Amino acid sequence: MKRVFTIVAWIVVALLGAGALGAIAVHRGEPLNAIWFVVAAVCCYSVAFRFYSAFVAAKVLALDDTRATPAERHDDGRDFVPTNKWVLFGHHFAAIAGPGPLVGPTLAAQFGYLPGTLWLIAGAALGGCVQDFVILFFSIRRDGKSLGQMAREEVSERGGFIAQLAVLAIMVILLAVIALVVVNALKSSPWATFTLAMTIPIALLLGVYLRFVRPGRVLEASVMGVALLLFAVVAGQWVAESPSWAHVFTLSGLALTAAIIIYGFSASALPVWLLLAPRDYLSAFIKAGAVFSLAAGILVVRPHVLMPSLTRFVDGTGPVFAGKIFPFCFITIACGAVSGFHSLISSGTTPKMILRESQARFIGYGAMLLESFVGVMAMVAACAMPPGVYFAINSPPAIVGATPEVAASTITGWGFPLQAQTMADTSRAVGEQTLWNRSGGAPSLAVGMAQIFSSTIGGDRLLSIWYHFAIMFEALFILTVLDAGTRVGRFMIQELGGRVWKPFGRRGWMPGILISSAIIVGMWGYFLYQGVIDPLGGINSLWPLFGIGNQLLAAVALVLATTILLKMGRLRWIWVTLLPMIALVTVTMTASYEKIFDANPRLGFLAGANALVAQVTAGKIPAERIVETQRLIFNLRLDAAVTAVLACMVLVLVFEALFQWYSILGRRREAVLHESPYVATRWAESFSGTVHGDD
Amino acid sequence: MKRVAKATSRFLRRFWHGVREWCGDAAYESYLRSKGTQQGLCRPLTPAEFYVEQLNRRYSRPNRCC
Repeated sequence: MKRVFTIVAWIVVALLGAGALGAIAVHRGEPLNAIWFVVAAVCCYSVAFRFYSAFVAAKVLALDDTRATPAERHDDGRDFVPTNKWVLFGHHFAAIAGPGPLVGPTLAAQFGYLPGTLWLIAGAALGGCVQDFVILFFSIRRDGKSLGQMAREEVSERGGFIAQLAVLAIMVILLAVIALVVVNALKSSPWATFTLAMTIPIALLLGVYLRFVRPGRVLEASVMGVALLLFAVVAGQWVAESPSWAHVFTLSGLALTAAIIIYGFSASALPVWLLLAPRDYLSAFIKAGAVFSLAAGILVVRPHVLMPSLTRFVDGTGPVFAGKIFPFCFITIACGAVSGFHSLISSGTTPKMILRESQARFIGYGAMLLESFVGVMAMVAACAMPPGVYFAINSPPAIVGATPEVAASTITGWGFPLQAQTMADTSRAVGEQTLWNRSGGAPSLAVGMAQIFSSTIGGDRLLSIWYHFAIMFEALFILTVLDAGTRVGRFMIQELGGRVWKPFGRRGWMPGILISSAIIVGMWGYFLYQGVIDPLGGINSLWPLFGIGNQLLAAVALVLATTILLKMGRLRWIWVTLLPMIALVTVTMTASYEKIFDANPRLGFLAGANALVAQVTAGKIPAERIVETQRLIFNLRLDAAVTAVLACMVLVLVFEALFQWYSILGRRREAVLHESPYVATRWAESFSGTVHGDD
Repeated sequence: MKRVAKATSRFLRRFWHGVREWCGDAAYESYLRSKGTQQGLCRPLTPAEFYVEQLNRRYSRPNRCC
């Protein structure tokens, strides 16, 4: 009887999900209620988790709970810490959830809500979650080894080295593009700039408290820090209203670029306890609070989605970024559906803390589903505002026009009615000088979030506070990724440099720390600078570059996963990782080709450079702008070269793996797995981790 | 009624401990209870030493994603 009830319940969930997806897909005319998105996502995720992840766990990976995990075998209380599965889920989710699933769907909303939503749900269930799950499992079986180490052992020595280089290159692009999102969010906004600036002294205060006053008392320090942060959000309004202080905190894009570069260098070179770690604590609490508040807000307010399901920009002429729906919707959504960077987390801390192999399903697959849900919410928030306002915020002046009247007329001409006065009113309501041309996704997401939050608490009176809370939340955790990423990049450079000259590889050697910090900051700082001076807003070129890099890393992870499955003798189930791998390689190679060679100057880097060269040659560029134009030409060619190098690195790895597969299938080579030897667990079946005070 | 109160109290206690573990507040306690420390192969670190050491380790590898 119970079994029948379960079957009926799952049939109902599946039908409900299919019905909600159908409603989203075929709905035309009247605005659609956001609750359909929530129902579709939750039902699809439930079915995917219950059935597909269970299939992968049982048939493909054959998880074995009798086997001791690294946390049990090496339990040292430092790296290897047996951790309750709910706590570890929280750890893992906090680590994988970054700005990508918020910014990507917001930018992809230019195609309409439908393509992005479908890819967020399907891409996560069939690609992203599978990647996170299998890499986590393979790392557990190898004592928590990293992606690079596994690639070196299971694919080839060269493959591992390429994976390591690819990670460094992709990290540089990632750090540049997220820094650009922050610059565009803070530009000409004294309130937001003051609030974010205040996070630095607050973090320093917390750092000193946690180091010298109450070592390791993270919770009480974080409560104090969050209270101070919320006060800083309110105080930002006073700063913005004071002409003298507002002047101090009204910074141009270039000034913000310099400030962020100095910040990144400091966070990398200073002791980690002083600035980086306390900021991370603050960010984790604010992130968790804001994400759950957004979910609750959408459920309470149930806003209507005003963006059409498909816009005219599916043809590739979009103002936010150039490129057709295929492949650029996939490239732009990136982390919300599939994120290569997750494979670094899944083969980093998490496998060293997991209690049982079976929990890899809940943590690896489940946490990615939750991240995808965050992406769906970001899509709803972006699409719930009038489309005209969305395009006004996210389009550069080079496309819509430099004055409000011209821009409003251009956007209205696209079929999204907008008056210049509407933008002025919206800017005033959120406490900003202007919202025109604030590309990057963060300001438009903040407007969407503020409208949802203020409909729940405070009404229009609190709209400006909510807007700046949302900006602070986005910028805070973007900068956390930036400083943590810069530090990791510094270690990578020290490691690579150490191969050439040994002392450089010593982590405590101060000249090495300063030089490597300067190198990594210089690399992402250059791309950031290039984005800030780009007349098309920078996001047009850098976000696709980041998306390509991220998805290429996912392809690397799936190549590794497929190789290991083949070695495990799971040829029958190899499609589980092979199909997402083929899809990602196809998408990224198409996008790379188009970004390099497309004849449209807005899309193809080389065509863009050639168009500028032609203008210079024809004397159409004023003399005072020649130097700037030469720099733009160089930057476009550099972007083309970076894209080509990334694509080539991954192609080399794919061919290395194909050669391996061919040798194994043709029995020319023995399939040698590099798993740790089997050790039976000593833990009782009911053991759920040492939760203090509960055992 | 009593049973509900007891279950609620147990849930809240577990939740509180879960939050402490999640944010790192209970990391030193976990360290002291770990097999490695219990075996007493070397002197256990003080709370301040452990705090700095674990931060240095945590932030030397990718631990925050995009």
